[in-house]
Amino acid sequence: MSQELQQQFVRDMLAESYEGLDRFDRAILVLEQGAADAETLNDIFRVVHSLKGTAGCLGFQRIEKLTHAGESLLDLLRTGRLTPSQPIASALLRLSDNLRRLLGSVESTGADRNDDEHQPLIDEFTALRSGGVPVSSPLPMPPPVPPAPPAVATAEPAPAPAPGATPTTWGIFDESAPAPVPAAPGEPAASWGLFESATTPPPPAASPATPAPAATAAPAAPAASSVAASTVRVDVSLLDKLMNLVGELVLTRNQLTQVSQSRHLRAETVSSVSQRLNLVTTELQEGIMKTRMQPIGTIWSKFPRIVRDIAHDLGKQVRLETVGADTELDRTIIESIRDPLTHIIRNSIDHGIESPAGRAAAGKPAEGLILMRAHHEGGQVNIEIVDDGGGINLARVRQKAAEKGLLAPDAAARLTDREVLNLIFHPGFSTAEKVTNVSGRGVGMDVVKTNIEKIGGSVDVQSSAGAGTTLKIKIPLTLAIVPALIVRAGGERFAIPQVSLLELVRLEGEAAQKALEKVYDAPVFRLRGNLLPLVFLDRELKLPSGTDGDGILNIVVLQADQRSFGLVVDEVCDTEEIVVKPLGKQLKGLPMYAGATIMGDGRVALILDALGLAQHSRVVSQTQDRGHAAGTLDAAAASAAASSSQLLLFRVPGRDHLALPLDQAARLAEIETSTVERTGAREAVQYRGRIMPLVHVGRLLGGAAADTPSATGPLQVIVYSHSDHVVGLVVDEICDIVSAAVELQPGTAAPGIKGSAIIQGKITDFVDVGGILRTAGFPAARAA
Amino acid sequence: MKRTILAVDDALTMRKLVSFTLRSAGLEVVEAADGVEGLAVLRSRPVDLIISDVNMPRMDGIEFTRQARQLLGGRPVPILILTTESDLTKKNDARTAGATGWIVKPFKQEQLIAVVARVLPGSIAAPAAA
Repeated sequence: MSQELQQQFVRDMLAESYEGLDRFDRAILVLEQGAADAETLNDIFRVVHSLKGTAGCLGFQRIEKLTHAGESLLDLLRTGRLTPSQPIASALLRLSDNLRRLLGSVESTGADRNDDEHQPLIDEFTALRSGGVPVSSPLPMPPPVPPAPPAVATAEPAPAPAPGATPTTWGIFDESAPAPVPAAPGEPAASWGLFESATTPPPPAASPATPAPAATAAPAAPAASSVAASTVRVDVSLLDKLMNLVGELVLTRNQLTQVSQSRHLRAETVSSVSQRLNLVTTELQEGIMKTRMQPIGTIWSKFPRIVRDIAHDLGKQVRLETVGADTELDRTIIESIRDPLTHIIRNSIDHGIESPAGRAAAGKPAEGLILMRAHHEGGQVNIEIVDDGGGINLARVRQKAAEKGLLAPDAAARLTDREVLNLIFHPGFSTAEKVTNVSGRGVGMDVVKTNIEKIGGSVDVQSSAGAGTTLKIKIPLTLAIVPALIVRAGGERFAIPQVSLLELVRLEGEAAQKALEKVYDAPVFRLRGNLLPLVFLDRELKLPSGTDGDGILNIVVLQADQRSFGLVVDEVCDTEEIVVKPLGKQLKGLPMYAGATIMGDGRVALILDALGLAQHSRVVSQTQDRGHAAGTLDAAAASAAASSSQLLLFRVPGRDHLALPLDQAARLAEIETSTVERTGAREAVQYRGRIMPLVHVGRLLGGAAADTPSATGPLQVIVYSHSDHVVGLVVDEICDIVSAAVELQPGTAAPGIKGSAIIQGKITDFVDVGGILRTAGFPAARAA
Repeated sequence: MKRTILAVDDALTMRKLVSFTLRSAGLEVVEAADGVEGLAVLRSRPVDLIISDVNMPRMDGIEFTRQARQLLGGRPVPILILTTESDLTKKNDARTAGATGWIVKPFKQEQLIAVVARVLPGSIAAPAAA
């Protein structure tokens, strides 16, 4: 077997074994709780059993020996000859740790050799085995395959095998005379056998003189990343679909080549090719994205073990529950949230969950609960880590912050509870009374926060004294292609990722003149009663001042670090999906930019980083800095926003107060009535190269005078995207975007209405988009 | 004519190792991940030899051997059991179920080829090993 092939098999073995060991760990935790069924025991037996066989064939003797010890014990367990116990579970977990380390050295050096001493564990297994029914004898250890020194490695004296079982390694059964298969002469032990008539001569022993190929290959080139991370499994049907799409792409390319060579270029031809290209690219992009998607469960699966070990160390009882393990996100993101999540879990157990005695005193069950939840929401993934521990002691945090000199004592007293909570993300902050082995290793929640923000996510903490703490993490689905808003300032174009975008405000004429106010010399804008600090993009980036002449003020409201600020730009262009390219290393140090992208015309635009921009301009600064008046107001707004939802308020004829959760609306658009095309009773427009059917919300809700178009101006459309389609909801007027805590009440029950709530002092009906679309004949409104 | 071998093993790497060894000896190999899959293969096409692992989910190698024998009727297709357990009970079970022979894992590639050459004479033109 060539070295290359050997390495391929080794890589296969590693990937298979890592996967198996993860399953193994989870099963042992179940076993420890005495809840393992026969199938689970069989499964973990097979994991070790397979690894033993494969490792043996590939010449990894240490792995083989260790797995053999484990296999013998697991065999007793699965056949019920040994009862699971705490020491057994612990030994089995150590087995998986040792095996992982051995596999790790195979991965990095090509040999299963490391500094671990395996004999004690093997001895422990032997001892544990004898704790079972005495009849059990360890399975005989097969001799190692590559007989470098023949049969020298049998450190464990094989017990006398049962009579009749020659330690041969193969045999052929005989129908009539079950004679033991004679061992081939010259070979220490045969490794196969046929059950056949005794007259048949023993198999021509696979010439023992021939030295086995050097099974232990020269050290594989140390892989940069681990085996598990370097391979990905793709559904065959998805692969077929991608292949189909690539075929489509080739056809479109051919078409385009043809069109570009034709002498009389016709606009319709070009636009039809471009539409086709658009369609194929979009589908191809979605398909490729799917291959990169992995369920978050792949990293969650490690947590039961981590929780168990930490809880053990701290003498606590903790149960881990997970919801939404099948939530998928890009694998690069999955990798980068592993460490932050681990740290949060550590913290929850160490600081959150109380000791069993403490819990009993508080009237809680001795066993603490940590719940990990994940779900998709508006192009992002929300992950929550909830514990039912003692919650964060705000007074203690205030005191600590003052002690550590992070805040002046009076400043600490002035902070809102919410701001105090966020102090836990401050560098160098730790409330642990004593530095335990588990937390307090110099890595704090600030690192967690930084790492999550690095991938465009955000962390938020909520806590209630005595009842527990919830950490909420929001992260984007992918980092490679993101929807962004293109703006212009000082003659340059910039892209702002939509995740940090809250809303756009455009002020004209007199309103623009009056809008600006000053708080301590800092420009602010009063947005629905809240002060919004403003940053002028051209001044901030020292660009030539833009077009001030027309008296229009464009404010892009951005969110950074749980606060919002307004970015003043010259012009708001459009939203686009941009491909994120990293900045060159000369520009990497600039915090205001998150990267660069190439626009449709081939020119480069820089991508703005909302947080970096805010910090650079000091509108979001280190807690106690200037602009506290604005800051507090802002924090209050942000805190209200966090506990409530963003709503889009609109009007249709006959119904003046309607609302829809903002995250269900992809965009708001104005569409000229003249562009609407009619097919029978259906109306549709061409929207960004796609066909967007229009649904008149007013008609479907059966409001009064529903058929009289109220205005002759452009149609106000809420673009709603569900699964693969977009639908335009035509309304009369879009009134406002508000954030409010919503408690739906049955109210004016009607088809298409989910319920009602009081918003801004008015009874407002919540539109059931899914219901409306169904009424309008769109069956696939799954996303609603 | 190329002889076809059905390799049944739930451990992917081991299955690949077996297939690779046999393919490099000029044999054709069909793979199955457990007994249930193995039987499905047998129903769909003829094979000349079966090599099966013992310990597998859904249907283990012993039960697979038993059902395969029924399915094969009287056809003389050898069945080899591949196992790390060299104990007598498993071997006897396999034998009762109708297995032709057994090979202990880990095996040397030459060994596997030699055993196959023995139960399937003429299948391997020039033994690669030995």
